Amino acid sequence: MLNMQNVTKIFRTDLVETRALSDFNLHVKEGEFVTVTGPSGSGKTTFLNIAGLLESFDDGVYDLDGENVRHLNDTQRSRLRNEKIGFIFQSFNLIPDLDLFDNVDVPLRYRGFNGSERKRRIERCLELVGLANRMKHLPAQLSGGQQQRVAIARALAGEPRFLLADEPTGNLDSKMAHSVMQLLKDINDEGTTIVMVTHDPSLAREAKRNIFVKDGKVSDVTHISASAPEPIASISASGARHV
Amino acid sequence: MLHLSSWEIGPIFRAMTRNKVGAVLIALQVAVTMCIIVNAVHILMERTMQMARDSGIDEANSFYLSSTGFADDFNDQVVIQTDLDAIRALPGVIDAMQINAIPISGGGWSMGLQTQPGAEFEGVGTAVYMVDDHVLNTLDLELIAGEAFKPSDIRWRQRSQRDWPAEIIITRALAENLFPEQSYQDTVGKTLYINDDEPVIVKGIIDKLQAPWVGWERLENAMLSPEQTLFSSSTYFIRTEPGRLDELMPAVEQMLADSNKGRVVRGLRSMQETRDRTYRRDQAMIKILTTVMITLTLVTALGIVGLASFNVNRRRKQIGTRRALGASQVSVLRYFMLENFLISSMGVILGAVLTVGLNIYLVQSLGLTKLHWWLIPVGMLTLWLVGQLAVLGPARRAAATSPAIATRTV
Repeated sequence: MLNMQNVTKIFRTDLVETRALSDFNLHVKEGEFVTVTGPSGSGKTTFLNIAGLLESFDDGVYDLDGENVRHLNDTQRSRLRNEKIGFIFQSFNLIPDLDLFDNVDVPLRYRGFNGSERKRRIERCLELVGLANRMKHLPAQLSGGQQQRVAIARALAGEPRFLLADEPTGNLDSKMAHSVMQLLKDINDEGTTIVMVTHDPSLAREAKRNIFVKDGKVSDVTHISASAPEPIASISASGARHV
Repeated sequence: MLHLSSWEIGPIFRAMTRNKVGAVLIALQVAVTMCIIVNAVHILMERTMQMARDSGIDEANSFYLSSTGFADDFNDQVVIQTDLDAIRALPGVIDAMQINAIPISGGGWSMGLQTQPGAEFEGVGTAVYMVDDHVLNTLDLELIAGEAFKPSDIRWRQRSQRDWPAEIIITRALAENLFPEQSYQDTVGKTLYINDDEPVIVKGIIDKLQAPWVGWERLENAMLSPEQTLFSSSTYFIRTEPGRLDELMPAVEQMLADSNKGRVVRGLRSMQETRDRTYRRDQAMIKILTTVMITLTLVTALGIVGLASFNVNRRRKQIGTRRALGASQVSVLRYFMLENFLISSMGVILGAVLTVGLNIYLVQSLGLTKLHWWLIPVGMLTLWLVGQLAVLGPARRAAATSPAIATRTV
């Protein structure tokens, strides 16, 4: 599903050159739930941006669902993001002037679905996250947990094969965080591949595999599930261990 | 592939209704701008058309000056004849005559002409030009019916004299005002009445000659009376060959001054200068209105740029999020252009109503003419275009927003 080989990303200013990712290698299989942890400045967000085609990279190979994305232009990257990737952001990133229905509708309009198809998907996804009765509410009228559920509904509405979550519980209390996490696990159980960046070790343990990033590289891989260890041949990390 | 659903008209409109202050202010600004600009353009067009009206004479090659005798032995009649003979003999002069008033100059004579005698009948107002038999050639007028004056038709008129010559020539417009049911040719030979009951016969019809008063609604009502005036001052009107005006104006003035020391020669002025002076206020109004229109348009455009720039800066995270969710740069550009189009649309619709309202007020209170209907759609299109051009810069900046903004927490 996601295959990065020796991906390098360098941020340059007039005075400084910063290697955010250096020979970053990662292979995520279809249906996996992978968490990405690491200290601040380790390159987690840069990885997420590159994985989500939000940012370009300087060197290496990145195949998303079998398609080499290195030389895609902006329109092609936008289309790929829209069709294959669902995003969940730490601060929800809902559009404050739009109600829940219109918020979930945003990616579907870029997809070009007709009105009835969009309505069907929006209602189904808001139903899934338990907010079907609040479609006409504005984001500001919801709690943080509810807003994140809307963001998840928005991410799911396009039926992406790949969900990228950036600290999705970072702004939530523990109860809400657990609820959101359970929702993500349910989504993963239905076959959607999820890569989630998090600071929270307890959440990381709920995934099937945890990638620890340090200094722009994968430095450690932990398989959470004892039943079926994942192949790690493509990961150039220092080691892998089962919990 | 272009999908209509991706145009987001509904969500943009709904979002605007929830955050409406900026949009409403810009829409009002667009409406007021349109209202003022369209009415200003209408006034400009009206003034320009008034200024472009043909006076009927050869303005480009004509000038005039006056002679006022003061010496005890000054004989007006002799001097006038001598002067005109001398002027007509100058190389480059096509013709010359004495006249009592200058077309479009602002000052002259007027009378009322009636088709029936009697004080109870209403007269039709007309400008009166007292001229001699050289009038057609001097003013470059076209006789379209009847006959021109002969030298024997011309009489001398004293200041205190009240009666009128037996025959006159009138303009086609005056003929049609006097006899609206008839062809102007049929007016030739008809008897008209001046001073309620003094008969004058229409000897001929000229195509066009404007009165001295450009603001008069019957500007083309004029009559030519075959007489030379023996007033204290005589005005000579001279027509030159093309390109000889500048040379002949000082030459004629000098010749007259030298020929008789018992008079003052003054008031030398070309018809072009007369036209410029007559329409000076209109020209000033055109400049002021043009400045106002340009300033208003710029202020409105800057307002749109300001609101769009503010919105782009305020929504950077939102734009990044949209980009992350699949919006291409074109989609973001289109979003802001469309948003402006909707705001401008509200503005121009309200503007159309205000424009008509202001025009009705101007028609009723200032006697302005009714607006040409097509100025309203042209005004709407112009304001739409101004809005789209103004928003283009901020929209392009928005489109250039990186989708990676979406994952930044600050």
